[in-house]
Amino acid sequence: MDPRCRLLIALMLFAFSLAFLDLPKVVLVLALVILAGTLSKILRRLAKLQILTGILVAFILVINITIGYSVIYSLTLSLRFLSIVSSTSVFFLTTSPDELEQVLKWLRAPRDVVFAFTTAVRFVPVLMLDLSQIIAAQRSRGLEFEKGNPITRLRKLSPILVPMIVTALLRSNDLAEAIEVRGYGVSKRPTSIYELKFSKYDWSCIVIVVLATAALTFLLIY
Amino acid sequence: MSAIEFDHVWYRYSSHQDYALKDVTVTIGKGEIVGVVGPNGAGKTTFAKHINGLLKPDKGLVKVLGRDTKDESVARLSRDVGIIFQNPHHQLFSETVSEEVLFGLKNFDVENPGLVAERVLEDFGLLQYREKPPLSLSGGEKKRLCIASAIAWDPKILVLDEPTVGQDLNNKRQLLDLIVSWSQRGKTAILVSHDMEFLWALNPRILVFSKGRILADGKVDVVFTDEEILHEASLRLPQLAELAAKLGWKNPPRTPSEAAKRILEVKGWPM
Repeated sequence: MDPRCRLLIALMLFAFSLAFLDLPKVVLVLALVILAGTLSKILRRLAKLQILTGILVAFILVINITIGYSVIYSLTLSLRFLSIVSSTSVFFLTTSPDELEQVLKWLRAPRDVVFAFTTAVRFVPVLMLDLSQIIAAQRSRGLEFEKGNPITRLRKLSPILVPMIVTALLRSNDLAEAIEVRGYGVSKRPTSIYELKFSKYDWSCIVIVVLATAALTFLLIY
Repeated sequence: MSAIEFDHVWYRYSSHQDYALKDVTVTIGKGEIVGVVGPNGAGKTTFAKHINGLLKPDKGLVKVLGRDTKDESVARLSRDVGIIFQNPHHQLFSETVSEEVLFGLKNFDVENPGLVAERVLEDFGLLQYREKPPLSLSGGEKKRLCIASAIAWDPKILVLDEPTVGQDLNNKRQLLDLIVSWSQRGKTAILVSHDMEFLWALNPRILVFSKGRILADGKVDVVFTDEEILHEASLRLPQLAELAAKLGWKNPPRTPSEAAKRILEVKGWPM
């Protein structure tokens, strides 16, 4: 599927997650998010990614009940939050940094912004790998995160954070030099190997998204 | 009692389908020097990370100095197993070189940490930089600092991941001497390396890893001259071994000066 279609679906789900404020409709949008996740075969990864969100969802639920809102209203707010986060996750889990770059270019975003954004996305797994190696290196020098009071534990983060920042800065410097020596910024309108093209399948997806948007807007108004 | 014992060890990373270690069985004695070689992704670093319990086997048993790594924390095992990883930037964080060495010493409650740190820095030629930030050192000095900070708490086993990367000839010689004297003190050294020339000069026992398995285990002269093993593990014959093979020498020289001496002898030229 063309990444622009995926973006359109994600935007629709995101917008209606924000717009709806009653339980059945929020559940409906959430069901659509799950359907999108199932069809794109990322449901398990999506669920894994929402573990942290689940903690926040529970927190929102408890806080709202504690301050006196009804259980139904609190549940609606919690599921709405889950729906907002999941709808954006569906797009990012199904879209590679290259595709993201293409979409941003198509949206006429400035080249430097596109490059910075897609590079940041691309670097997430690399930085995660660095983080695990830094933790391994410091644990091998006797650093124990499990021991001590909260302040001591916070102090123990410096052997992790300093190498993490240094590694990220060195990497970004290397990257800056590497792209400069390969001509980044010379041409104002660089050519691209890939070009986005809508297929018949994409057009039919757009029709479905438009119909779904109309139906959900009808539900929103009436 | 052996220093390290791997008994039918299998290990798979959660993000991978294939096992990184497959039925690895090996025993390493105290005072032994072992070179671990093989192509990228062969399982060398995974093997090394099992030695101080950073990774625990999915199947099989890893024993270090008689202790099952599954029953021990990384910190407790690290008191006896010093690991130096490939990238110094993953380790260095302190404000000064001296504090960097002190970090491990304090974690392991070593007596007189200040004195120990000074002595180790002197041994590694880093004493003049003790008040400098570690990140201001050159690449080779950073690597030496990492090795110094692990040796400082005097572990019984030392695991070095690519120790010769970024080191000049003199530093390599110093490292070679250090490993030899380390072994002479009854301590074990494991070197994960692609530097065939360095391993050839060091003359350790060699473990060749390929696709998560131990492809060969033997003396450097035997393993590094077996073309089939070298081909299988994508390794290159060390230059001195290649020279010896081409000249038909039965005992290949260990160092370039040894080779030069032999050539001069054959030719009858003055030394």
